[in-house]
Amino acid sequence: MSALEIQNIRKTYGAVETLKGIDISLESGEFLVLLGSSGCGKSTLLNIIAGLAEASGGDIRIGGRSILGVHPKDRDIAMVFQSYALYPNLSVHRNIGFGLEMRKVPAAERERAVQETAKLLQIENLLDRKPGQLSGGQRQRVAIGRALVRKPQVFLFDEPLSNLDAKLRMETRTELKRLHQMLGTTIVYVTHDQIEAMTLATRIAVMRNGRIEQLGTPEEVYDHPATLYVAGFVGSPPMNVLDGVVTGEGVQLDGGAVIALPVRLKNVVAAGRRVKLGVRPEALRLVGETADHRVLDVEIEVVELTGPELVVTGRVSGQRVTACLPPRTKLTVGMKQAFTFDEDALHLFDAETELALG
Amino acid sequence: MTGTSMTTRAWLLMLPLLAVMIAVIGWPLADTIGLSFTDAKLVGTSGNFVGIDNYVKTLSGSNFQRTLVTTTIFAVVSVFAEMVLGVLAALLLNQQFYGRTVLRGLMILPWALPTVVNATLWRLIYNPEYGALNAALTQIGLLDAYRSWLGEPGTALAALIVADCWKNFPLVALIALAALQAVPRDITAASLVDGAGPFARFRFVILPYLAGPLVVALVLRTIEAFKVFDIIWVMTRGGPANSTRTLSILVYQEAFSFQRAGSGASLALIVTLLVAVLAAAYAVLVRRTAGSNA
Repeated sequence: MSALEIQNIRKTYGAVETLKGIDISLESGEFLVLLGSSGCGKSTLLNIIAGLAEASGGDIRIGGRSILGVHPKDRDIAMVFQSYALYPNLSVHRNIGFGLEMRKVPAAERERAVQETAKLLQIENLLDRKPGQLSGGQRQRVAIGRALVRKPQVFLFDEPLSNLDAKLRMETRTELKRLHQMLGTTIVYVTHDQIEAMTLATRIAVMRNGRIEQLGTPEEVYDHPATLYVAGFVGSPPMNVLDGVVTGEGVQLDGGAVIALPVRLKNVVAAGRRVKLGVRPEALRLVGETADHRVLDVEIEVVELTGPELVVTGRVSGQRVTACLPPRTKLTVGMKQAFTFDEDALHLFDAETELALG
Repeated sequence: MTGTSMTTRAWLLMLPLLAVMIAVIGWPLADTIGLSFTDAKLVGTSGNFVGIDNYVKTLSGSNFQRTLVTTTIFAVVSVFAEMVLGVLAALLLNQQFYGRTVLRGLMILPWALPTVVNATLWRLIYNPEYGALNAALTQIGLLDAYRSWLGEPGTALAALIVADCWKNFPLVALIALAALQAVPRDITAASLVDGAGPFARFRFVILPYLAGPLVVALVLRTIEAFKVFDIIWVMTRGGPANSTRTLSILVYQEAFSFQRAGSGASLALIVTLLVAVLAAAYAVLVRRTAGSNA
């Protein structure tokens, strides 16, 4: 039995349909990340799971039980909010134990659960403080503690790291990963940050305009993007996308260069079809001694050293290309440089439907 | 610009206002203090110096003590009722429902109307011959015969408190409503997920955000209620049998009706002092509330 089953969930606001039939089935212990840009419907879906918004159609089941119409407190869920949403006048201790207090859990049992959770999150020394006396990172830990203490079937996280600075975000991300590995809890996590999605998820649902563009493991989403949108959204810098047309020799890019197609793609696209060719920046490397069938002659326009890598941006046949290279690579602005990539790194999308080919 | 010249400039800029304030507040206050130590009448002699006689007589007189009790009852009951009604109205008007905006606008009406209009309106409602209250109560069977609500010592003060509440609860509601808008949606949502019922939600989620603004409303309204004059003067003039006489009415009667300017001045200063003590106590309360919410 699935821990969480989302069946054909729809949500409309007047004439606007924000969720257009979402289907996801989650096994116990899975970490699902709903990934997408603002307005894609990911937070709406989370709020529907939590019971903070009503679905216009479909069903949601937790542990086999339909929870639509059930009060949020009776859904066996806990939620962590972007703004932490701590009760400002209650101590950290009471904040963490609030859900148990409202459920009339005996004081002794409550105390034990709060202490256990505080120890797990290493916030025992903060229990007597008020939220106003805590830093952002500490507040986030308390918010996570408030969710953990109840041991619900499903945890919901609504962009929990968005308000933290970059360093703390990374630390908390690792902490969340550690907690998930340790406790094996089922989590639905909303974010627009693809790094968070890639690092935390066991499965990612990339959402766009109220639909799921792709649902798969981080590797599947990264290595085999189902649509051009997913290819562009996951990965930083985003995948290079070059317009072209299929010919007998491969893909002729708009502007001249021809890129040979690997065997796996040769038979799936007919000559004359307009396509978009995708290559991840990190898949590009400088052309070596050996001749290659996949060469991009790039006129370098910008060179940026980020520390761990050198990000090079230029143009091939008038189309923009970005490459991530080792930091010591000797390249300067204005140079012409040939880049190549492995055939496995080549992605092909239909220019019209934007769906992956092959 | 140096610190000294900045200070000089600041004083120069404030000087005109200070002069006006000294002329319209400082001088009359000083004059009143001087007057309170005399047996001056409103018309005629400027009076002889009598020391603290006026104060002793006022404070030991049963008139003052009875009036102080009446004023305290009026202030405590009306302000308490206004706070409760105001918060309830704000909670209601914070819900999503059709016509909410219109209702929010209408609610301010009693407060926006001049007190004289309000008082006249309530005099009509309480009228012993054709008042709406008598008509309504007799028609639903709660009253056998028409009563003179403002004419009986047992009901006049209560009737005044109702009128004062009706006029002033919208101010509290307005302040509370503004505070309610500041309650973060996420915290309300978190309390729902945590299983807090309506009372727990009010106690732990809403009240912390309401407390500060409500203390300000409490300060404003208590001081106003303690000084109340206009609504009572229009409706009962302190009667019947002085049952609705508050301190401000007593000051007026002493100084103008009985023309005892010296005694009236001492009474006015005592009232001023009482209000100042109240204001100071509340200032401390406001600071504490602000501190606890920080």
